[in-house]
Amino acid sequence: MQRHAVRSKASPDQNAPVVSGSGVGKTFASGTVIALEDAGFSVPKGRFNSLVGPSGCGKSTLLRLISGLIEPTSGSLQVHGEEVTKPRQDVAMMFQRATLLEWRTAIENVLLPSEIGGRVTSEDRTRAMELLKLVGLGDFAFSFPAQLSGGMQQRVALARLLQTGADVLLLDEPFGALDEFTRERLNVELLRIVTEIEATTIFVTHNIAEAIFLADEVYVMTPRPGRIAKIIDVPFDRPRELSIQTSPEFNHLVEEARDILGAH
Amino acid sequence: MKTPFAGHALSLTRLLPHLALFGTLILAWEIAVRTGLIQSIMVPKPSTIFAAIVELYFVKGTIWYHFFVTLTEAVAGFIIGAAIAIALAVGSSLSDAFRRYVSPYAVVLNVTPGIALTPVIIAWFGFGMGSKIALAAVISFFPIFVNTLTGLTQTDTDREELFRSIGASRVQIFTRLRVPAALPLLFAGLKIGLTTALIGAVVAEFAQATEGVGVLMSRFSFQLNMGASIASLLSMTLIGLILFYSMEFLDDRMVFWRREERREAVSRKRARAWKRRG
Ligand SMILES: Nc1ncnc2c1ncn2[C@@H]1O[C@H](COP(=O)(O)OP(=O)(O)OP(=O)(O)O)[C@@H](O)[C@H]1O
Ligand SMILES: [Mg+2]
Repeated sequence: MQRHAVRSKASPDQNAPVVSGSGVGKTFASGTVIALEDAGFSVPKGRFNSLVGPSGCGKSTLLRLISGLIEPTSGSLQVHGEEVTKPRQDVAMMFQRATLLEWRTAIENVLLPSEIGGRVTSEDRTRAMELLKLVGLGDFAFSFPAQLSGGMQQRVALARLLQTGADVLLLDEPFGALDEFTRERLNVELLRIVTEIEATTIFVTHNIAEAIFLADEVYVMTPRPGRIAKIIDVPFDRPRELSIQTSPEFNHLVEEARDILGAH
Repeated sequence: MKTPFAGHALSLTRLLPHLALFGTLILAWEIAVRTGLIQSIMVPKPSTIFAAIVELYFVKGTIWYHFFVTLTEAVAGFIIGAAIAIALAVGSSLSDAFRRYVSPYAVVLNVTPGIALTPVIIAWFGFGMGSKIALAAVISFFPIFVNTLTGLTQTDTDREELFRSIGASRVQIFTRLRVPAALPLLFAGLKIGLTTALIGAVVAEFAQATEGVGVLMSRFSFQLNMGASIASLLSMTLIGLILFYSMEFLDDRMVFWRREERREAVSRKRARAWKRRG
């Protein structure tokens, strides 16, 4: 299996954070909505972190800040040790909605990042086809989004995310609109892929169990103003079996997160 | 969103009742005139119109020259109006300042009845085809401008952020996102504009001209030759149909992702192209 990630230059210090922020705040233009306040965090290479919290607590805002789509009102953010000022090649984002272009076939949608980056090479094309097979859509490469189900569209978006070759992946409730079975399967698949390409991942969800099952660390966020209330360390080894979700340790972590969210 | 007029296979069984209704109406009309229920000076018999059609279109063929004059005027006017409308809409969508300068004129042009400009335009451009083309261009401009601008300025924040997140430039966002997303509305505007252009050409011909279907029709009306007058009118209908369905066809080709069958056809074509490239 070919490796997809653009490698960060061999980092001498394995523990140097790939993504970090301190005192990050965002107030929207009106000045009345504090979407995010004083967020501090640090994600080492290859880690999978999740953000969990109720609607409106600033999860999407934090991801958009890290991706460089919007600028923080206060504090600072770094990716690979560099201050984030605009979208970067090595950071890719998957949105809450599939955001496919309906006039492009699945494979053409996957190829969009390559096309934006310059000329599409035959390696790009081969990789796009491999990624579609990886997400189980090899037979639908030439279908238009209107011919695909919601779950299939999200999988195309996932393939497109991986096609960027970025090693920092930001996923905003990627499978939130899907049924539980499909979501669980895609989550397991996602974990396998990001482990294989050693990507550093931040995954947004409002499902506590999902957040814990997937992540090495869970950032629990609370609203008004949006804050990272607590960082919970998840001690389970990878790869993880779905069955850990019934273990007492797991349920203890769920309780812990629920307490923080419930207190608000 | 489906294109409402294209792609319906007309089966004979579906067509039959329509033909029956049409035939009945024509027959009733013929009888009404023959029995003197309607004055035949003002309203000709269908058979008279039919005779005029045979003469104008097939025996003498006089209509065709005028037919092509009017068709040319409408199409030329439409192309000029559309080119200006699209250029200004693109400019307005790219720059707010540009839009602020353009839109008052566009609005004034819209609220002023375009047809009322006929005498002025004839004074400027003369009795020939020039004035017909100019009026067609003027009145087809606005619907195309408004639809194109609306299409280009629709905001889809998520998709725009997707493009920005993969490092797309403003030009790339415009050509790969805004333009394709605007195509359905652009074509809606073009369809309205094309029909409007025909109105412009014909009205200008009525006002002052030496050739064109409008001239022919008013000439026959003055001679109280109502059969030939209506036969001429039908050629305008024919022009209208040709123009509308050509644009409808182009729309269906360009906005292929809207209709199921077209999507599948294009999807198969792209799969073949991919395999050829290996
Ligand atoms: N562009 C914007 N302009 C003004 N306010 C905004 C904007 N984007 C977000 N907000 C506000 O910031 C707050 C956080 O929004 P955000 O989208 O980050 O929430 P979220 O945690 O992702 O919620 P959800 O789970 O519903 O997606 C909300 O109160 C929202 O109203
Ligand atoms: Mg959100």
